[in-house]
Amino acid sequence: MSCEKYSDWMTHAAFGDLPAEREPELLAHAMECAACREALAHARAVHDCVDRGIESLVAGEPSPQFATHLRRRIAQESGPLRSPWMTWAPVTACALALAAVLAIAITHKRVHDRSSPSVASAVNPISAPPGAVPASVASPRNAERTARTRDFKRSAQTRAATTTRPEIIVPRGQLAAALHLSAAINSGRVDGSQLLAARENSEKPLDVKLIEIAPLDSLAPADAAERPE
Amino acid sequence: MDALAASFPGSAVSRDESLAREFEQRLADCPKLAYRVALGVLHNTAEAEDVAQEAMLRAYRNFHRLRDRERFRGWLVRMAFRLALDRIRAKGRRERHEHDATRALEDNQHEGNVEDLVASREFERQVAQALDALPEKRRIVMVLAAIEGYNTAEVAKLAGLPEGTVKSRLFLARKKLAESLQCLVKNTPTG
Repeated sequence: MSCEKYSDWMTHAAFGDLPAEREPELLAHAMECAACREALAHARAVHDCVDRGIESLVAGEPSPQFATHLRRRIAQESGPLRSPWMTWAPVTACALALAAVLAIAITHKRVHDRSSPSVASAVNPISAPPGAVPASVASPRNAERTARTRDFKRSAQTRAATTTRPEIIVPRGQLAAALHLSAAINSGRVDGSQLLAARENSEKPLDVKLIEIAPLDSLAPADAAERPE
Repeated sequence: MDALAASFPGSAVSRDESLAREFEQRLADCPKLAYRVALGVLHNTAEAEDVAQEAMLRAYRNFHRLRDRERFRGWLVRMAFRLALDRIRAKGRRERHEHDATRALEDNQHEGNVEDLVASREFERQVAQALDALPEKRRIVMVLAAIEGYNTAEVAKLAGLPEGTVKSRLFLARKKLAESLQCLVKNTPTG
């Protein structure tokens, strides 16, 4: 039993890792036990061989040409050692240039949009605020009107959720008028079908009928007597 | 050297020259360290020189990225170790080693003393094979411990590991090596 206990100690002792307080005990046991004495000697021999074997594997110096060859290769490197900022400088420059081009393009587009009078706004009369009553206008006098507008908004939103309506392109300046018209149609104050019917009537082609004129010879004698002499 | 570079703020040339000079100072002893680490993995002087050259060149290219210059040696050691492993993988040398070593394993028990045994080519081959069989983490600490007798603290600094980790890895590596090589040492008188 005690020999098993010292087996692990022997390994540590051979590697020089055995705690100092255990060493005397191990040595005392080795003095008494021939097998353990032999095992300890063998473990030390193996350890010695291992260490010396590994040392011999890594022993040696690079050849005298090593340094010369290394310096030549370093000299052949494309450039000298570069500071980090020099490495990133071209990348940063490219990124800045790209950002500048994008900014110019966006600004130019905005200016073009504002200056163009023919540009139309896409407005959905249902989803847009009908009448566009601003908060400042909502005075007590207009309370009834505001309430009506709110109701209309709700019903319009409900209708928009259930029905699909085409978007109407309204030129700038005519937005308010278009919204008023849309609100009037949706509230029933104006009959949209009549408006369309009137437009259809106005666009109908004229029915031209030829007038038949009788020749002079076929006039009745009574008519001839009436002619002035 | 840094003070010299700092005296010319914004001057890339002076900064680069400073880095080059700083690197030059390390050319005195570091190639030897890289060579030995590579030799411990490759067991071939010519290949170890190639790897050491490559490691030094990479160190030169990336020297400006190293913030703490005191860690240069550890950085170089790990780079050389990695490059050496890559070379072994690329060439499939391990299989060749194993084949060679297996051939000589059974009938090469030495009857002479430890000196003769260590000096023999066969023993060297056996040690190399046992070392190659170690996991990479244990192998690097074993190789570093064998180079110029670095102690645990120095190995820990070079490997970038805590000292306790190095101790345990060294113990396990030595134990494994001893198990692999004890059959060779049988009946070998010490001294």
